[in-house]
Amino acid sequence: ENSPAPLPERAIYGFALFLGSWFGFILYLIWAYIPETWLFSLGLTYWPQKYWAVALPVYLLVAVGIGYILLFGINMMSTAPLNSTDTITDNYAKKQQQKKFQEEAIPALRDIPISEVNRMFFLPEK
Amino acid sequence: MAEERRFRSASGAPIALRRRQHSACCRELAVRGPRLQLRSLSAATSAVWLAAYGLFALSQNSMVLSAAIFITLIGLIVYLHFVKIDQESLLVIGSLGIQVTSSYASGKESTTFIEMGRVKDVVINEAIHMQKVIYYLCILLQDPEDPQGVSEVVPLFQSSKPRLDCLIEVYKSCQDILEQRKTAPQSS
Repeated sequence: ENSPAPLPERAIYGFALFLGSWFGFILYLIWAYIPETWLFSLGLTYWPQKYWAVALPVYLLVAVGIGYILLFGINMMSTAPLNSTDTITDNYAKKQQQKKFQEEAIPALRDIPISEVNRMFFLPEK
Repeated sequence: MAEERRFRSASGAPIALRRRQHSACCRELAVRGPRLQLRSLSAATSAVWLAAYGLFALSQNSMVLSAAIFITLIGLIVYLHFVKIDQESLLVIGSLGIQVTSSYASGKESTTFIEMGRVKDVVINEAIHMQKVIYYLCILLQDPEDPQGVSEVVPLFQSSKPRLDCLIEVYKSCQDILEQRKTAPQSS
């Protein structure tokens, strides 16, 4: 079953992730700060260029910043323009079934056409 | 008979609605926006010329100054002819159709006519527009296949964007005429 309760397996996953992320962070600091000559003297020669130790965080932060603007832009693009029928109706409203009117019962829930709504709001009944 | 009332647009600018009844089934509703103000024109011209003078001071090229004058003149003409709409009017003729006219500041007029057989209704719709929700009047066009369906939405008064009080006046006037369609005998 899907329950968010703490389980022994989840504790082990969490601890493994914790150790793994600390190991990754210490490795990143070693790669970025310790001079290449010292690392070569230890026998560890196959590292990526140190340029990437600065470039990757910069790429990541710029991507996050662009993501804000991109999300805003995607929202604006997917808003229906003023001249589209999506502002009035959609597929579900077109295909809805009309239930028969019963006396003394609450009317069934349905999408009311915009002409009717307008008449009710803006034309005062005498 | 003609009457004119003052309202505000969605952005707060003052607009005027003029209603004229030509006959029992023909009405004209015109929304007039504010004219081009001298202060905004001077502000734009001064800004362009100051920027050009700054560029001239940096580059010592006198072509920048004449280019700025050309840009100002041509920009003003293009703005008046293509962008600045002075008056938008709606002419509803009962059995004939609806005519929508936009008059630009340079005198150009652009007109669209929609015959009454294609018009389903004129309604006030709300939609999201540029981080705001606005009310706007629109003509719903009939879908030829489906009598209940709407094939197209034609928004009206797009550049003056009146607020709800003005739109309700226009809506009531249009509905007066459109209701006569149902009571009048159908002629094929």
